[in-house]
Amino acid sequence: MQHLPGGLMPGSKSIVTRLILVITLSSSLIFALTLGYNYYQSRIILEKELENNARNLAMSLVNKVESELVSVSKVTEGVARSLETGRYSEQELHSLIRNTVAGNAGIYGSCVAYEPYAFSRTNRLYAPYYYRENGTIKLIRLETSYKNLPYLYWDWYQIPRELGKSEWSEPYYDEGGGNTLMSTCSVPFYEEHGGVRRLKGIVGADITLDSLTELVSSVKILKTGYAALLSRNGMILAHPLKGAIMNETFFSIAESRQEASLREIGKRMIRGESGFVFYRSLVGVRSWMYYAPILTTGWTLAVVFPESELLEHVRTLSMTMAVMGFGGILLLTIAVVSLARSITKPLRSLVAATKLMGSGNFDVELPAVISNDEVGVLTNSFRLMVTSLKEYIKNLTETTAAKERIQSELKVATDIQASLLPRLFPAFPDRPEFDIYASMDPAKEVGGDFYDFFFIDHHNLCFLIADVADKGVPAALYMMVAKTLLKSEGQRLGEPDLILSYVNNILATDNDSCMFATVFCAILDTRTGEVRFANAGHNPPLIMTSAGIQYLAVQSGFVLGPIQDIVYKTESITLQAGDTLFLYTDGVTEAKNPGEELYGESRLLHALQCAPKEELCDLIHYIRSEVRAHAHGAPQSDDVTMVALKYRGTVADA
Amino acid sequence: MNIQTSKESSAMVVKVTGRLDAVTAPEYEQQFTALITGGETRFVVDFEKLDYISSAGLRVLLAMAKQIKAKSGQIHLANIGGAVREVFDISGFGSIFPMHESVISALNATAG
Repeated sequence: MQHLPGGLMPGSKSIVTRLILVITLSSSLIFALTLGYNYYQSRIILEKELENNARNLAMSLVNKVESELVSVSKVTEGVARSLETGRYSEQELHSLIRNTVAGNAGIYGSCVAYEPYAFSRTNRLYAPYYYRENGTIKLIRLETSYKNLPYLYWDWYQIPRELGKSEWSEPYYDEGGGNTLMSTCSVPFYEEHGGVRRLKGIVGADITLDSLTELVSSVKILKTGYAALLSRNGMILAHPLKGAIMNETFFSIAESRQEASLREIGKRMIRGESGFVFYRSLVGVRSWMYYAPILTTGWTLAVVFPESELLEHVRTLSMTMAVMGFGGILLLTIAVVSLARSITKPLRSLVAATKLMGSGNFDVELPAVISNDEVGVLTNSFRLMVTSLKEYIKNLTETTAAKERIQSELKVATDIQASLLPRLFPAFPDRPEFDIYASMDPAKEVGGDFYDFFFIDHHNLCFLIADVADKGVPAALYMMVAKTLLKSEGQRLGEPDLILSYVNNILATDNDSCMFATVFCAILDTRTGEVRFANAGHNPPLIMTSAGIQYLAVQSGFVLGPIQDIVYKTESITLQAGDTLFLYTDGVTEAKNPGEELYGESRLLHALQCAPKEELCDLIHYIRSEVRAHAHGAPQSDDVTMVALKYRGTVADA
Repeated sequence: MNIQTSKESSAMVVKVTGRLDAVTAPEYEQQFTALITGGETRFVVDFEKLDYISSAGLRVLLAMAKQIKAKSGQIHLANIGGAVREVFDISGFGSIFPMHESVISALNATAG
């Protein structure tokens, strides 16, 4: 198979590959951008949503805690006011405290602690404390149970006493009292004595941190989210991380983690602000936190949402979208591949068909046109081209055949024309008085030049050279007529002028195309060497004598053929033994080389001087080869004809 | 070959430049026939710029002259020199066509 130029076989840059690359890549890009944007936007929306939810959740928790605390405060307040207004015996006092604890599930324990000697003049301190233990309510006397420090110096007693108003204590471990982590609501109560208002004691009601933690953690926040409670100074009061409770503050954690932002958040909490922040939680999880103050105690409640859990839905959605998108792109790729294949399939068939056609088979089956798309149009055009090509080749074959026929006919014509001219040399081997030699090379298959020689009688040899105007078939036809007439009239009339005049009149009849021939006609008397000649417009011949070479002075008559009644004149010259007459047509002197330079008369004269003169055959072949050498490959534009006649004299002369 | 024509009062002057041979003869014949068909009968052919004339050229020259003669017209040749003159002399055409030294004298001859 012939080597095909590159690009015919689909390579890495085929339509299919390019389509897949472009479409798949661009749709992937679009999809990725969309997905990313969606994720980003969902996150923003979710964050806003989350802030609201977090705030609501935190506020409701705050309310819950707050109402719990307020209810305890109110009960405590009520006890204090009762003690101020009523007179209670010791027994009545005990039953009041006991009932307070029993009647309020949120209160862990309650006490009434008196100022020194305020309850009785005999006992300096008096502080009965009722609290829950194992489902029953027990009594303990704080003035005796506090081993290390009298109750007077405990925060829950001292601070409201000094401030003169009710107060929630910071959480503490009530060692010797309730023996648990708690916060106490303390309310001072007074007595009026002679217009003087004097502090009588402090009513306290406790809540355990456990109950608060329970309350706070009763709210379920997502899966791993939680609520936390921090005290006024950042101490952790309620947190899923039990170990941190009462052991760590927000600041101690910030310190150990070297996180300034965490400390900043802690400061804000202490100032009683609320806010929504993104941070790393105490358990080390990236989370969102909403914090709000509990006004009653000055504590802070925080609601924490782990980020991963929060974005779980978005992540799941994005993953689903990604899977769907990937599937979509896969589907798209398959669609593109099949589309591209369906487009290129007829193209591939076309390529195969073209290869077959290239090898000369035009009866190739072309792919059927299914749709009128570009490929269909191409196929149709291709089909049209094949038809045209077939037609063209058929015509070409016919034309070639016709041309070949004409060529072969012309070849026959060439042979016929050549056979008309005397070709056998020596032409008259039995006549030693003279030599004659001639040649004619037509420029085309057939020519317009001709020569002839024949005896009129035993002594007179007629010889002539002629050039029909133009070349080719018209000239050849005219030549046939002229030559035939010249021979028949020549033999009949025997004088050059008469021959030319007669033939001219015959040719001039009905010669509308004005075809003509130039003819030099001469008759040699072999006995004397006299040459009688007449000229019908032909270029004069050369005479080569021992003295040299020169043109024969010839009167030029009008060309033969176009006009009737032309009168020609016979002139004569006598040849000496050894003299040669050289007749030629202008095809010799007008032979051109590739530079359009004519061979010319001077070159001809020079060549004749150099030529071998003994044998005319050599002479003429020498001149012919000289002319050919001059042409140097340039196409022959005119017939080249030469006739040479050498007079050798009579036998007697010799 | 190039042919320029100019209409003078007494004749159509046809100026032929270049070569008049087998290749260019048909064009000469065509242009001349058009002029004759167009009604022109008197011609002066200026051969001053003609470099070469072949037998085919002579043939169309003669054929055109015959057509003009058939319409009782005249054809005069002017400024024939050099190689062309030689051809005219050898072929005897010089004795058939009236030849003039200049276009003006040829025009005068047609007017007369």
